[in-house]
Amino acid sequence: MDGCQSTIPTSEGDLHVVAAAHHIVKALGATKNLSDDLRKILIDLDAHLSMITSNTDSKGGRGFLDVEERLKQAERKILSWESDPRMIWDSGPREASEYLEAVDEIQTLVDGLQGLSVHENRKQKELIHRAMSVLQMAMSRLEEELIHIVVQHRQQFDPKYMSSRSTQTYVVYDESFVSVEDEPAEETSSRNCSSDEIGEFIVDLIHADVIPDIKSIAKVMFTSNYGPEFCEAFIGVRKEALEQYFAILDTEKLSIEDVLKLEWTNMSSKMNKWTWSMKIIVRVYLASEKQLCDQVLGDFGSVSSFCFLEISKATILCLLNFGEAVAMGPHQPEKLLRLLDMYETLADLLRDIDTLFPEEAGSFVRLQFHELLESLGDSSIAAFEAFRVAISSNGSLYPFPGGGVHPLNKYVMNYIRMFPEYCNTLNLLLKSQHADVEDQVIEPDNGPNLSLSTSCPMACHLRSITSSLESNLHRKSQLYKNEALQHIFLMNNIHYMVQKVKGSELRLFFGDEWIRKHNGKFQQHAKNYERATWSSVIYFLKDDNPGSSSLSKSTFKERCKGFSIAFEEVYKTQTSWSIPDPQLREDLRISTSLKVVLAYRTFLGRNPAHIEDKCVKHTVEHVEKLLLDLFEGSPRSLRNSRRW
Amino acid sequence: MTGTDTQSSFLGRISIRRNQVNAMDGSHEQEIEDLDLFQKQVSDRFAEILSAPDDTPFDAFLSISWIRKLLDVFLGCEAECKAILLMGRDAAQISKPPLDRLIPELLDRVVKALDICNAIANGLELVRHCQKLAEIAVLALEQKPFGEGQSKRAKKALVSLISAMHLDDKEGSAHKTTDRNWSFGRRGGNKDRPLFGHYKSLSWQVARNWSASKQIHAMTMNVVPPRGPEASGLPSLIFIMNLIMVFVMWVLIAAIPCQERNGLTTHLPIPKNVNWTHTLTGLLEKIGDEWKKKEKKGMAGLLFEMQKMEKLGQSLIDFTDSFQYPGEKDKVEEAAKQVAELAEVCQRMEEGLGPLQMLIREVFHRLVRSRTEILDVLDQGAKSSAPLV
Repeated sequence: MDGCQSTIPTSEGDLHVVAAAHHIVKALGATKNLSDDLRKILIDLDAHLSMITSNTDSKGGRGFLDVEERLKQAERKILSWESDPRMIWDSGPREASEYLEAVDEIQTLVDGLQGLSVHENRKQKELIHRAMSVLQMAMSRLEEELIHIVVQHRQQFDPKYMSSRSTQTYVVYDESFVSVEDEPAEETSSRNCSSDEIGEFIVDLIHADVIPDIKSIAKVMFTSNYGPEFCEAFIGVRKEALEQYFAILDTEKLSIEDVLKLEWTNMSSKMNKWTWSMKIIVRVYLASEKQLCDQVLGDFGSVSSFCFLEISKATILCLLNFGEAVAMGPHQPEKLLRLLDMYETLADLLRDIDTLFPEEAGSFVRLQFHELLESLGDSSIAAFEAFRVAISSNGSLYPFPGGGVHPLNKYVMNYIRMFPEYCNTLNLLLKSQHADVEDQVIEPDNGPNLSLSTSCPMACHLRSITSSLESNLHRKSQLYKNEALQHIFLMNNIHYMVQKVKGSELRLFFGDEWIRKHNGKFQQHAKNYERATWSSVIYFLKDDNPGSSSLSKSTFKERCKGFSIAFEEVYKTQTSWSIPDPQLREDLRISTSLKVVLAYRTFLGRNPAHIEDKCVKHTVEHVEKLLLDLFEGSPRSLRNSRRW
Repeated sequence: MTGTDTQSSFLGRISIRRNQVNAMDGSHEQEIEDLDLFQKQVSDRFAEILSAPDDTPFDAFLSISWIRKLLDVFLGCEAECKAILLMGRDAAQISKPPLDRLIPELLDRVVKALDICNAIANGLELVRHCQKLAEIAVLALEQKPFGEGQSKRAKKALVSLISAMHLDDKEGSAHKTTDRNWSFGRRGGNKDRPLFGHYKSLSWQVARNWSASKQIHAMTMNVVPPRGPEASGLPSLIFIMNLIMVFVMWVLIAAIPCQERNGLTTHLPIPKNVNWTHTLTGLLEKIGDEWKKKEKKGMAGLLFEMQKMEKLGQSLIDFTDSFQYPGEKDKVEEAAKQVAELAEVCQRMEEGLGPLQMLIREVFHRLVRSRTEILDVLDQGAKSSAPLV
């Protein structure tokens, strides 16, 4: 026993005291209802006292007979397993506990022998060395048993069920910014599993049944001062288990150079996978590993957290390095949402990391987490800027055919539709960038009922983005030679923007005022279109002389012809134009109809005498019907048409 | 620290000068002067490292603290180089030929250096593992009374230590976890089999098939001293920076275990007969010779502490092999001395490895930041010159 240096009693009286004490100890040891600790103490004391007595009885060796006998027995137990091909803990609980008892016994004897101060005694020394050799053998064996148990009883669990959504579900903007042609999939809003989806989810990494076994091995190894061996072996196998798990997650190790070379689709899916793995590794795996370490090593002070750090450090750094590489890469606009995912994931996990690594020793890991968080924040802002620059600098050489909704507009509007989901993060990140944007985009009428969501940094940035988009679309509209088509194009595109804003959470950030203003804008373009197209056509139907009842036949004929030609020209051109939104198309047709058909009907009505004349090429009904062909995006010509 | 003082005054001078120069726009002469100053700084600093007294074991050549000094020098040079390169300049100045080729190449090298930093960080885990094993050996060997039990215990740890050191770095890297067999036929009766093997794992790897020696090889490509009129301008500055970076990374790889070092070159394109490169050439030769001696002997590397540990470990294994209680007095005394030395090495590792690990991470972050800053300046230029439609 430590610190229990005995001195040899010299007098008879002392010996009596020792003998009496020995009796008492033996008697106490026989009592039931003793705690394990107390029993252990009594056993140790018993051994100790018996050694004092035997030592003095014997004057130089013979008294150690008892001790030697006990050592022999224990030694036999240990040695018998040395030649046994089985593993002890596989052979049954009795074998295991007998083995541990033997080790305990040796340890007790060693403590007792070392506690005696008579180092001159040869027999004593011999016994100590013999005991220590057996102990070494046993410790070596226990180390193997430990590794065997930890490996054999490793629990497999499938990470797939950790998340209700599989990694495959999110359809992302995998197209690069400039090459978007089609409407991006509408159902793109599903993000990575949101933060609360994987809660603290602790699993048994090692079968719960064998935890007591591992603890018992830890206990004897630490008691015998073989703690370092235990730790190295335990760290070794657990570290390997973590790496295997890492492999199950299918997280390939990439150098930074490799990551920087990834093309976007591949990069995007790796970023998604990272977000997912990071959560599972930290929330599930590391949390469980921490618990395992605490279960096994909790009784040994800081050893548990030391081992945990050693087991997990390499894997965490590997995950963080991927993040660093991503943050270093070019900040393409399409990277923004994935970067925000990564940022939010890390920000979310900060608290877990602080709990997992609370000590000074873990400060390295914590620091690296914080550094990466910062880099990802910077990269997100850079990608945001790149997005804005890409919008304003996106150029076209040719007008977009048909005047429909431009792909850039679709891309931008569908992309920013996701932003509200990242509102808090974006507000946080954009706060520093806020000032200069605010000046650019003043919302004039927000005034007193300025609501929070329309004035947050993200809202300002959103409006600034759409205003760049609008300017760009204006530039693009200038590419059309036909003024009417310019208006159709702008009407379509602004209408599209409004619809996207109205139909999503963006509404809250843009505000009613913005919507009203932009409704006004596209309606104005619709009016301008009508004026640009139809005023020259209707001109033929005009009543120059309101006084007289009807036109002369020749004038009528001329006017009719003029109208027909103009109308057919419009028909020919504008059937190829496109208004993708059915409602908008309908509205514009109605208002055109009202104007044109009414004018035509009045014109014909005023000249009933000539109605049957051949020169009236189109009946009112025809004109009304023909107007329905406009803006369908498929060019038709009346001259070739045999429809009527 | 004096290093930071000289550095800050150096940077101060450059920044003051830049302000004046901008006004005058006659920068070439200033550039030459900056460059001279920089070369002198580089030369002085490396000379300081080279002349570190060998008798103080703390600063021994290639020891942990020596490598920390080397990295401090590197950080200092890097900061100054970046200052000369970027301070007061715009994209147009640093994107004209031949800089339009030299700077992207420099940035490529930076990326390679980052991966090397990570490989080294992994390697330090192995060094740490060796430290733990040596500590077990010391714990056993210091036991009083010392008997065969403790002797066996020490030997077991030492054998693990030496075999970890002698493991081929290819073995270390190519090992797949799934191939591992932890049941290692325990009944084979090999009592001294090395038990610990957790460095033989994926965490050791930077990436599959990644190779430190190939990285260095790739980094040295195109590192050639500029000639003619370029020799006095920014191309020369970039050349120096390339050279220092390659050199420092090379030293790290030679010293600290890392993935795949087979065929590591001992030739770096250091120009001869130039004043400021003398010290570098000296270091290169000294380390290169060591490396050639050591190359085939596994992955321990040239780190002073590891070398010492290996030597002491071998000798103590011999001691434990022949040990029979109570042992010969001479041998026991000799062993006790070695144990004390081993304990001291462990202590130095305990104190030095953490800070070294942090420093390597700092180098990593610094390189990342510098790369970003350079790219930002270039980017600014690209933006302002891009036509808006």
